[in-house]
Amino acid sequence: MWCPRPGITCGSGTRRRQHIGRALVAMEYAVYAEGLRKSYGGVEALRGVDLHVPRGTVYGLLGPNGAGKTTTMGILVTLIKPSGGRAFVAGYDVVEEPQRVREHIGVVFQEPTVDRDLTAWQNLYIHGRIHDLSRNEIEHRARHVMELVGLEKFLHRRLRSYSGGMIRRFEIARALLTEPEVLFMDEPTVGLDPQARTRVWEVIEELKKTGVTVFLTTHYMEEAERLCDTVAIIDRGVVVAEAPPEELKARLGGDTLYLKTASPAEARRLLKLAAGYGDARLAEDGVTVVLVARDAPRLLPTLLQEARATGVSVIESRYVRPSLNDVFLMLTGRSLRDEEGGWSDWMRLHMRARR
Amino acid sequence: MPARPRWLPAFQAMAWRQLVRFLSARSRVANSLVFPLIWLLFFGLGWSAAFNVLGPAARGIFGGLSYLEFLAPGIVVMTVFTAGFGSGLGIIWDREFGYMKELLVSPAPRGALLLGRLVGDTVAALAQGAVMALLVSAVAGWPGVWGLLGGLAAAAAAALASASLGSLIALSMRSPEGFHMVVNLVMMPMLFISGAFYPVDPLPAWLRMLAYLNPLYYAVDLARGLMYGVHSTPLPLDVAGLAAVTAVAVAAAVARFSRTYIA
Repeated sequence: MWCPRPGITCGSGTRRRQHIGRALVAMEYAVYAEGLRKSYGGVEALRGVDLHVPRGTVYGLLGPNGAGKTTTMGILVTLIKPSGGRAFVAGYDVVEEPQRVREHIGVVFQEPTVDRDLTAWQNLYIHGRIHDLSRNEIEHRARHVMELVGLEKFLHRRLRSYSGGMIRRFEIARALLTEPEVLFMDEPTVGLDPQARTRVWEVIEELKKTGVTVFLTTHYMEEAERLCDTVAIIDRGVVVAEAPPEELKARLGGDTLYLKTASPAEARRLLKLAAGYGDARLAEDGVTVVLVARDAPRLLPTLLQEARATGVSVIESRYVRPSLNDVFLMLTGRSLRDEEGGWSDWMRLHMRARR
Repeated sequence: MPARPRWLPAFQAMAWRQLVRFLSARSRVANSLVFPLIWLLFFGLGWSAAFNVLGPAARGIFGGLSYLEFLAPGIVVMTVFTAGFGSGLGIIWDREFGYMKELLVSPAPRGALLLGRLVGDTVAALAQGAVMALLVSAVAGWPGVWGLLGGLAAAAAAALASASLGSLIALSMRSPEGFHMVVNLVMMPMLFISGAFYPVDPLPAWLRMLAYLNPLYYAVDLARGLMYGVHSTPLPLDVAGLAAVTAVAVAAAVARFSRTYIA
């Protein structure tokens, strides 16, 4: 009997074929999840999460705080038991074979998980040993990963003397020590100053070249846009979209132009004109035309000329190119930015901390 | 692709970590020496003076030993026992500072991680016990090299038991405050009913029964027997009792850690 991987037991008859079919699908992806659910005391944190992470890509799980990002990652790295659904990481089932999954992943958590009383080298040494690397292997690779994150000069310093940004970069280095197939990062730049954030981004971009699969969660759309080959947008425990950022933005139909006129009558005339170029409507103020259309930079001068020709005077004009925030707004009816730092997040965090 | 991790490297790494941390945390060392020293000086010397009023009759209470000799093995065991409970505190801090997650996502066998930590902490506790044994020997009377080593061996088992109990409590507690409360609630009665400060034999039956469940009782009786030749339970029974209670504590802690899913 042929089995896709040692350790995956094959049943008999139809069930076996189904099982093999699913395992094969799972093997194509570095991370594959279907219908992941998790409830905490009746509250559903995840309500059926599906993920498809191609090998060797950077994949971002984007959503506001409390959307279920950390819970999803907790399940994928085998620290949280799902209430339902299945997930495979590096081809292994996270519930059935957590040990195998742990052998093939590196994890950078949202909060630091280092021993600050020890030096970077001591932390790396313990990490290597509990992952069954020999001392020689650890010495050899430690230099390499510390160079990758630009910390080679601080190898023998205690982590107590590291800044927050250095600790984050060190944790990336430590996670890479075992040459994992999949690197998980939970909010890799949260709480970092802009410079430190840029350094972490550069490290992740550097990783892209090495072929490791990176799975990161973030609530910063700039981060998702800059780093990710694929973005999954998660909201209230469900993935509402999963595609490359450009494709997601293209779903919005293009750029948004705002043209303000002097009177409602002029606005109505301009509306008719604009409707020929895309999806046009009047804004609530009654004097501004909102037009969604492709290639705003070239369209705007044309439109202004035509408006002048028909006797409409445009007194104000601007256009906005779509961001992932607009995608989020379209999909959920809410803004990613509105959610940031709101009191509801504070409550949620606070309550989670107390649990 | 890394091979399936073996047991030994993880065990060794964790034990090494505890010893490195121990050597760099001087305040912890001082703390665990000062507390028993206070007992020896202010409690031991005080009662010793009080019992001297009775003259030779006092020795009858303590199986022929002076009170300081009676107390000395108890102080050594108490030192390593309280130091051992610090192992649980280490788990609490690891969870507070996130390091526990680093351990939980590693493929190392959970049993190896915890046992390595327990053994590392036991060795650290024993180093403190050795210092204390030399100090009390100077005050109470030299028990001989073999007596000293025997007493320390008994203390080592007690340290392993208390490290396991401390870890078990730490893994079951959510907050550092809860840990401190439970530890005090467990540790104080265990110390008092160990026979370290007064003989257990004259106690009411129900208290004696509690003593026989206490790993510390066997450790103290064994240490006293080996150091000064006085004991109330046959020594092989002490060894068996200490081994049994310690084994149960270690097994319970490992079982609890293996079931730990998220920090």
